[in-house]
Amino acid sequence: MKYVIVGVGVAGIEAAREIRKKDTNGDILMISADAQIHSRCMLHKFIAGERDEEGLNFTELDFFEKYRIHWKSGVRAEKIRPDEKEIVLDDGEHVGYDKLLLANGADSFIPPVGELRKASNVYGLRNLTDAQAIVKEAESAKEVLVIGSGLVGLDAAYGLLERGKKLTIVEMAEQILPVQLDAHGAAAYQELFEKAGVRFVLGRKASEAVCEADGKIHKVTLDDGKELACDLLVVAAGVRPSLSGLEGSGIDCERGITVDARMRTSKEDIYAAGDITGRSGIWPNAADQGRVAGRNMCGAESEYTDTYALKNTINFFGLATLCVGRIKPEEGDVIRIKEDRTQYKRVILKDEKVEGVLLQGNIAHAGTWQYLIKNRIDVSKIAKDVFDISYADFYRLNERGEYKWA
Amino acid sequence: MKRIIVEYEKCDGCKNCCAACMQAHRDTEGTIYDLDLADPKNESRNTILKDADGRYKPLFCRHCDEPECVKSCMSGALTKDPESGHVFYDETRCGSCFMCVMNCSFGVLKPDRVSKSKVVKCDFCVNAGGEPSCVASCPKKAIYVEEV
Repeated sequence: MKYVIVGVGVAGIEAAREIRKKDTNGDILMISADAQIHSRCMLHKFIAGERDEEGLNFTELDFFEKYRIHWKSGVRAEKIRPDEKEIVLDDGEHVGYDKLLLANGADSFIPPVGELRKASNVYGLRNLTDAQAIVKEAESAKEVLVIGSGLVGLDAAYGLLERGKKLTIVEMAEQILPVQLDAHGAAAYQELFEKAGVRFVLGRKASEAVCEADGKIHKVTLDDGKELACDLLVVAAGVRPSLSGLEGSGIDCERGITVDARMRTSKEDIYAAGDITGRSGIWPNAADQGRVAGRNMCGAESEYTDTYALKNTINFFGLATLCVGRIKPEEGDVIRIKEDRTQYKRVILKDEKVEGVLLQGNIAHAGTWQYLIKNRIDVSKIAKDVFDISYADFYRLNERGEYKWA
Repeated sequence: MKRIIVEYEKCDGCKNCCAACMQAHRDTEGTIYDLDLADPKNESRNTILKDADGRYKPLFCRHCDEPECVKSCMSGALTKDPESGHVFYDETRCGSCFMCVMNCSFGVLKPDRVSKSKVVKCDFCVNAGGEPSCVASCPKKAIYVEEV
């Protein structure tokens, strides 16, 4: 049996590991544009100079030898040909497969504003190559403009602050981290970044940016006409599934590749997992999708069921935040807030159920919230203040001494 | 694998297990009699919770068969040791994202209080020969190690 996996992100890696567990003799080939295995969530540490390339590796350092996997790096899958059961790489090689997993992730989205897509000093922050290019450009750049203040935008800013750059962040919304936090929680991070020297321009978007003679953008005009000088731009405006090699393959796509619960695509023997599916690609979920795909590729029946993905943790300057569920209050919600000098906690309750939680400053033992929210537990049945509910109220041990839910 | 079995009905909430854990993981020399309980550096990896009826429910890392913390780790810092079955944490690899804290649905894990960059996690007292100090300290024998 020949398994081919495109992508060495967490979905691909976990699939390979699972396949090797189930099929000790099968041939596994991994193909990637990435020249190194790296955790995208740690790229800011590379930009900051806190870690080298190897320090970004998230799996066993001898992964390919340990699991007897062939790896071809530095190439992209240019064409998928399901009828021939082969893929064509951009170096011209044709690679046959019995089972194929597409886990080649997503690409940074650079909005079509001015000449952002054309300029040589505009970067997304998605791959190690992006981080490497940013570091190189930063050698000569003095002023950095980051477009977008989501987690990736703040990661970029954090890394570049460590390199002593002057930073401005432009955000369309009226607050930073608008997807993750409420205004109060966002203000805490804004203050920390401002103290570190970052300037924020909120409620504005870039409307014009023209390349100068050197092929670079040196100023960006905002929608209020204001101009911001820059020598390096990081655009953190989200990602789009990497679907470029799929044209003509007949594989059904919507936002990303369409998959069923077993991570099967519309074409036989082709599976997809991770960001390329356009489903939530937060790390644990992408890993799960990879494992499910790997098991099914080996003939086992396994479904991706724990799909809950409205969850995030944030940690900058030692201020940790956890947010699960809905962030924006709606009519009919009961909002509970608890605040002291070390923490801010906010819970959104509706019909006696927790729909969203935001904890900042103290997230110890907070894993229980996800369970309460995704299982829509009626918390009025527990004779405790909602902030005091813990796993003690659902405590059960099985015969192997593991915790289960009562 | 060896697991710390919990018989919560026997627990009287004394928290000797917590003090023993703090002592076992302190970075200074000394005995439990000079352990500074107020020093935020001294943190217990386990705790005892109370349910709504006031009963004690010891919260100890289970080193789960399918550990969610390991599954959510984006740095490779958390791994399940194939030999012992225990879940170990390598703070030098940790990316301080705390997704493990979010994904341990039993709420066992927490960030450290001082640096807020590490996870406080049971290591089965592996450096002390793998005999968990909490177990040795329990006066009610509510926790004990068993092969499962």
